[in-house]
Amino acid sequence: MEKKIENYDVIIIGGGSAGLTAGIYCGRARLKTLIIEKSLVGGLATYTNEIENYPGFPDGTTGLGLMELFHKQAKKFGVTFKLTDVKKVDLKGDLKLIETFRTNYTAKSVIVASGGKPRLTGAKNEDLYLYDKGISFCATCDAASNTDKTVMVIGSGDAAIEEGMFLTKFAQKVIVSVMHDNGKMDCNEIAKNQALQNPKMEFMWNTVVAGYEGDGHLNTVVLKNLKTNELLHVKVDTCFLFIGYLPNTEIFKDSLNMNRNGYLMTNEKMETNIPGVFAVGDVRDKFLKQVATAVGDGAVAGYCAEKYIYESEIFEKQILNDGKPSLVFLYNAADQKSCELLPVIEAFSSKYSKTKLNISKIDIYKSDGIAKRLSIQEFPSVAYLDNNKVMKVLTTNISDNSLSEFIEF
Amino acid sequence: MAEFNLDCLGEACPIPLMKCEKKIAELSVGDVLIVAIDHSCAMKNVPDWARTQGYNVEIDEVDDGEWEVIIEKTK
Repeated sequence: MEKKIENYDVIIIGGGSAGLTAGIYCGRARLKTLIIEKSLVGGLATYTNEIENYPGFPDGTTGLGLMELFHKQAKKFGVTFKLTDVKKVDLKGDLKLIETFRTNYTAKSVIVASGGKPRLTGAKNEDLYLYDKGISFCATCDAASNTDKTVMVIGSGDAAIEEGMFLTKFAQKVIVSVMHDNGKMDCNEIAKNQALQNPKMEFMWNTVVAGYEGDGHLNTVVLKNLKTNELLHVKVDTCFLFIGYLPNTEIFKDSLNMNRNGYLMTNEKMETNIPGVFAVGDVRDKFLKQVATAVGDGAVAGYCAEKYIYESEIFEKQILNDGKPSLVFLYNAADQKSCELLPVIEAFSSKYSKTKLNISKIDIYKSDGIAKRLSIQEFPSVAYLDNNKVMKVLTTNISDNSLSEFIEF
Repeated sequence: MAEFNLDCLGEACPIPLMKCEKKIAELSVGDVLIVAIDHSCAMKNVPDWARTQGYNVEIDEVDDGEWEVIIEKTK
């Protein structure tokens, strides 16, 4: 089967709240934008039943409902969606390559918004009972099917306790396995107090999962008491794991910088170690992972991707001037000393307007991307390029005379 | 490496999934099955099933509420 080739300005890997927001910004900036999502648009937020802390929804909203709105808004700005898995990436060149099983895509800029997947306990026989066979990661999805049954929740973080309380609305009994001492949980105080008072919730302190048992479908979770090493066989219908997430960064491990846990490292502009490649949302090494913060990441990356593409075009066409001589004046529009030089540069450039020398004025106030490409940190300054290379840089005494001596033809 | 089409428009769960299971059994390794569906539940369970089988899956939204699930039989 011959693979198709499709070209985009921006490709966003992952269609959760961060990716969708980046899509909205890119689409609105009239960039040809593609979002590739491997399962359902909306990402992790769609697994949360209730979102009460996302501003603009005083009565709260469902994760799925909120993400449908994000999706609709991205579509309105002409963003294309492709629901498939990314198999391979090559991000090094100016044109980034992204491979899915049917299509090879190229993009000028890539935004990684691939999020994470639920962490497993690694206990015995876990792989035999995943998803529809008794180990679930989504209370919203599987609560109703556990009406009047006994379920177990592993973990004591916000997700574990809040989802556990949600499960009590359906299940007859919710057993929570907590690895800490009696009364100690990782969740917030409000959730903790509510959970401790919930008559349907039962806590098993100092326990971790040792194994899973069942006949085709899970029926018993074997817990181990960390203090006594005693094994406890607990009969349950479904076991819910809420013990954190792992970032989806497998395909980037040879190209992007990540921390020990595999989260991608970025700066405040969401830039990774490769120019034109950004990372946003849960996949990024950051402090607070929420829809509200993912949206902020997406907005920054969408804006920066647009700037990056625009600057690449300016750089190629104007600054490099097809290898012919080029003079670049870099100034800060917010700095008076810089601005006073503008008439000097304009007069100088009109003298050379009929030659092969190209003269550009670049304001670094809003973005220093072009200055970075030229490795210039001092402003105001003038760079002289020939054969696509910076030959010399002038930072003092910029005047008509010094410029005439500065250029070499 | 042929392509086959399966029309499941207007059919609700679990019929599209059952038709897919039956059809894919007839295909050879490397063949591609393109399933047309317009039931949002099938748009979840058909790809989920195909992925658990280890097949390559891609979904195209061809129209509002209408999808093509493309499945490559890899083994």
